[in-house]
Amino acid sequence: MPLDYRRFNGPEDSVSYKQFSTNFTRSYDELFKGLFDENGKRIDGREFTEARPLYTKTNVISQAKGSAYVELKNTKVVCSVFDPREIVGHQNEYSIYGQIYCEVKFAPFSCPRRRRGLAPDTDERALSANFKTAIQTAIQSTKFRNFQMDVFVYILEHDGACLAAAINAACLALTDAVVPMMDIFSARTAAVINNQIFVDPTEAEENLALMPTDNETNHGIITLTVIDHLRNITDLQQIGSIDADCLIKVIDILLEECAKLMPLFKDLIIDNVFEQYKEHQVYLSIKKQVNEELSNKVKEWTLIVKDK
Amino acid sequence: MAGMLLSNAERFYIWDGVEENFRSDGRSNKDYRPMELETDVVSSASGSARLRLANTDVLVCVKTEIDTPKSDKPGLGSIEFFVDCSANATPEFEGRGGEQLANRISNLLQRAYHSSQAFNLKQLCIFEGKQCWKLYVDILILECGGNLCDAVSLAVKAALFNTRIPFVKAALMDGGNIDLQLSDDPFDSKRLEVGTAPLLVTLCRMDEENIVDPTAEEETCIAVSIVVGVSGNPALYTSSEDTTPSDHKCTTISMSGNGGILPDAMKIVIAEGITAAKCLDEALGRTLLQERNRTNLQKKDSYGFLK
Repeated sequence: MPLDYRRFNGPEDSVSYKQFSTNFTRSYDELFKGLFDENGKRIDGREFTEARPLYTKTNVISQAKGSAYVELKNTKVVCSVFDPREIVGHQNEYSIYGQIYCEVKFAPFSCPRRRRGLAPDTDERALSANFKTAIQTAIQSTKFRNFQMDVFVYILEHDGACLAAAINAACLALTDAVVPMMDIFSARTAAVINNQIFVDPTEAEENLALMPTDNETNHGIITLTVIDHLRNITDLQQIGSIDADCLIKVIDILLEECAKLMPLFKDLIIDNVFEQYKEHQVYLSIKKQVNEELSNKVKEWTLIVKDK
Repeated sequence: MAGMLLSNAERFYIWDGVEENFRSDGRSNKDYRPMELETDVVSSASGSARLRLANTDVLVCVKTEIDTPKSDKPGLGSIEFFVDCSANATPEFEGRGGEQLANRISNLLQRAYHSSQAFNLKQLCIFEGKQCWKLYVDILILECGGNLCDAVSLAVKAALFNTRIPFVKAALMDGGNIDLQLSDDPFDSKRLEVGTAPLLVTLCRMDEENIVDPTAEEETCIAVSIVVGVSGNPALYTSSEDTTPSDHKCTTISMSGNGGILPDAMKIVIAEGITAAKCLDEALGRTLLQERNRTNLQKKDSYGFLK
């Protein structure tokens, strides 16, 4: 995406004032202790393997063919799917697969530690590429040959696990847009800090998981996407340094967590179908009523014409 | 490579070969193609390496610059990867054609080198909070013959092993300025500790089999490939005995391609990736030490086209 030079992008070399606060200069061990409350649970009261509650809503953007809003406490993500359009430009050869164009964008105000620029940076480009790998397998791209479909994700607030939230939002937005898919899919993130697994980490936990340390313990972030019925992993992203045993443990936990999301998604999709059916019934009844009135009027008028 | 067109017969030939554990060039599913590695090929760079893996040819150069560290990481230097897909490799890379691939590889490397257990950025610090070294790793892809990720990661590790960083004396002057003192002697320099640097292994899933080191032809027949980044063992990269060997850990995993993989298969893929990386790491460490001993004794002959 070319940079728009007419738009003022803000200062480039300023730093956040928070970097000078005492909170910021805390050491790794202090930060690690800060993740727990006095009962040994996570600071927001969750168990280590407990994910945050997920709030979902579909059809939030009227201009888009399908859209969804997903909230994991303070992680807030909007995803919109636009109708397939013909591929124009340099690619004039016919392609038997439909193309999917994905863009994941952070809002400038979304991150607690710094302001995000308007132009897509390397982080966002990498995130878009990972996002695309995760969702493209489920979409039946042969159903819209030579067409391109756009999927846009906007991260309004980032409090950890934003890739997983984006993928979940995309699943709901795609079903809302009635895009032909193999099945629904879901994603979950886990962070590993000091050999301890944190499912669905917050931003503070993610930050600590990627912080350079002196000790030789496992640390890192793993995001896993799985297609429901086929139990197929379509995307696995890992960063950090984790040994094989721990990795396998995390994968098992994440698979379980992903499966837990499925009934929620299914309920929402079924609810949407019911609602749409109800709306359609209302529409039909109104249509019938209007038609009846019109035919009555026609009868009246034909009588009047005959009388004359 | 999207530019390569294969007929269905050719595809089936490749698939059936993989099923029989006997690939079209005579390898088994777990064999790498022969490699040719040369270090110190570019005199203007701090460290360089050229790796040829059958038809894949990459040139990696490391440039060092002095930079001010980030305010949130005062004691750490930085390392950045830039991949250039030359149009010499395939005409497809002309203009912005290779950008996507270049981004993918540089992202993978950046992520693989992110952990301090994979590459310790503390060794790049000159004066905490004021000055640090910044390593620019420039990767030039000269020829594409499949399995770029693995070849690039091997060449990067070799180039970093070859890198010399001059000894710098830094002192704090009045007014918070830094005074740097550098020696004129190019051999008055230190080597980087790169033993733990990760290697990337691409594993491709074909039906029920996993293959390593796919050729360009095989890459067109693959639905899904998994890249596993595994940190190295520092004991293999030094002739002294006192380095403690460390475990091979996963530093990055990434999937690409339009397909999925079952959870059980995924676990096998990860285990196989670590095994493959272990073997590669051993071979690379041995070769690099050999090369270093040879260059210490006499001026070496160059083998590639770069003279």
